[in-house]
Amino acid sequence: MAGALDPLNPGPLESTPGRRVLSVSQVNKLVAGMLGEHFSDVWIEGEISNFRAYASGHRYFALKDEGSQLQAVCFRHSAQRLKFELEDGLQVVAHGRLEVYQPTGKYQVILDVIEPKGLGALQKAFEQLKRKLEKEGLFAAERKRPLPSLPRTVGIVTSPSGAAIHDMLKTLRLHKAQVKVVLFPAQVQGEGAAEQIAEGVATLCARPDVDVIIVGRGGGSIEDLWSFNEEAVARAIAASRVPVISGVGHETDFTIADFVADVRAATPTAAAQLVARPWEELETRLSDTAGKLLEAVEQLLFEKQQAVDELTRHRAFELVAADLANLGHRVERMASAAEGAARASLRDAVTVLTVLDRSLNSLNPVARILRQKVALQALVARLEKPTLAFLFRQNVRLGQAGARLDALSPLASLGRGYSICLKPDGSIVSRIGEVEVGEGVHLRVSDGAIDCRVERTGEN
Amino acid sequence: MAKNEKPTEGIDFEKSLAELEGIVKQLEAGNLALDKSLALFERGVQLARACKEKLAEAELKVSQLVKDKQGIFSEETFKEERD
Repeated sequence: MAGALDPLNPGPLESTPGRRVLSVSQVNKLVAGMLGEHFSDVWIEGEISNFRAYASGHRYFALKDEGSQLQAVCFRHSAQRLKFELEDGLQVVAHGRLEVYQPTGKYQVILDVIEPKGLGALQKAFEQLKRKLEKEGLFAAERKRPLPSLPRTVGIVTSPSGAAIHDMLKTLRLHKAQVKVVLFPAQVQGEGAAEQIAEGVATLCARPDVDVIIVGRGGGSIEDLWSFNEEAVARAIAASRVPVISGVGHETDFTIADFVADVRAATPTAAAQLVARPWEELETRLSDTAGKLLEAVEQLLFEKQQAVDELTRHRAFELVAADLANLGHRVERMASAAEGAARASLRDAVTVLTVLDRSLNSLNPVARILRQKVALQALVARLEKPTLAFLFRQNVRLGQAGARLDALSPLASLGRGYSICLKPDGSIVSRIGEVEVGEGVHLRVSDGAIDCRVERTGEN
Repeated sequence: MAKNEKPTEGIDFEKSLAELEGIVKQLEAGNLALDKSLALFERGVQLARACKEKLAEAELKVSQLVKDKQGIFSEETFKEERD
């Protein structure tokens, strides 16, 4: 354009030597050429004012400072590349070229790069979107849904080959989460990633089996994580039927997705842990309960064992004592009968002695006591065997044995009216010579004891 | 699917655990006859074992959604590309 007109050869207008007349168009063309030559690559700093976004996608505004204004336009193809929205009052550093709009003779700057001054473009975009969604209430605490108490099917939106899916599956396996994982493989950075992530959330939450969704990716630069700061992702998360956990980057990375998500996990691994936790708690509950089951039964057995101990300690020994006393009386009676018989006739005596001998053998108290003692010791020994199931079975048998013991008890004899007379030292009184008048004795009867005092003694 | 079910797959983990907890409560109350206690204990051991087995056999099922040319998703087994 610069060479379109030769100022030294002005053409067929009313020019004379020394006076060169140019048409308006020529002036504008000349200016356009000069501006194009000297201002084709310029950086300008200023504040945006009078901003207008047209339906065509072009953005019109003025760049200004304290003293001056410059008309600016950012055409659609450039505007689309902006990560943030232009707005009045925004201080920017912009790059472009100056151009004269020849129909009006006005010049403007055509901008192709605009960066917010101070903050990076991404930072600005982040803050703008955050403010916008916050205003809409998308981050409100009351929108946050609790995670399912026991997740069954987890939808995951992430790269199928990234570190995130690997970490998450590893974590779920480690904590034995009884879940099914449905992965929506999505690109998690670069052009089109945000749309894929958003589609993933929408697709997974449309499945009736999915009850929680994780969106995430491993660590990276702010540019790498950028997709999770895009509005499409935020909208998809907000619209999800089921709770969404975000697990993007590292602990220190906060994305818009984190703010919209029902739960923000610091990392993909932490997100998986949230899903696994209820399963872990269930496992703990199971082992606790199994432990309590054993404790309850051990306690039960302990009580039964104590009852058996009680039996062996008191009643069984008393029973033996009673047996002894009983047998003692009978032997004495038989002995005195034998004496009498001896006096009557030797033959009778022999007969009586034979009978006595036989009776003594069949009733041999020592043998009987020994038998009972051995039986009790065996039961006690078996009770002390360590295994629980064994203990349990043995206790059932002991219970039955105890019942049998009861049935066999000579205390039943006491029940029929016999009693045993004991001295304070516990020895059994079987002869009148063993007590003195005024001495206290102890009568054991079927249901207890009677304390007595000897008034007098006399032979039969 | 049903025919391939493992024996413990039929049990509902949560339900079984709740029943087990009920049994422990009854046993802890301690006013049961010995044979009733024994029966409860046996049932409890059975439940605890089934739950433990279910946990032990847990194998994470992972599938991925794959889009065909018509844009329809189908579910495929997911194989990790890393180890």
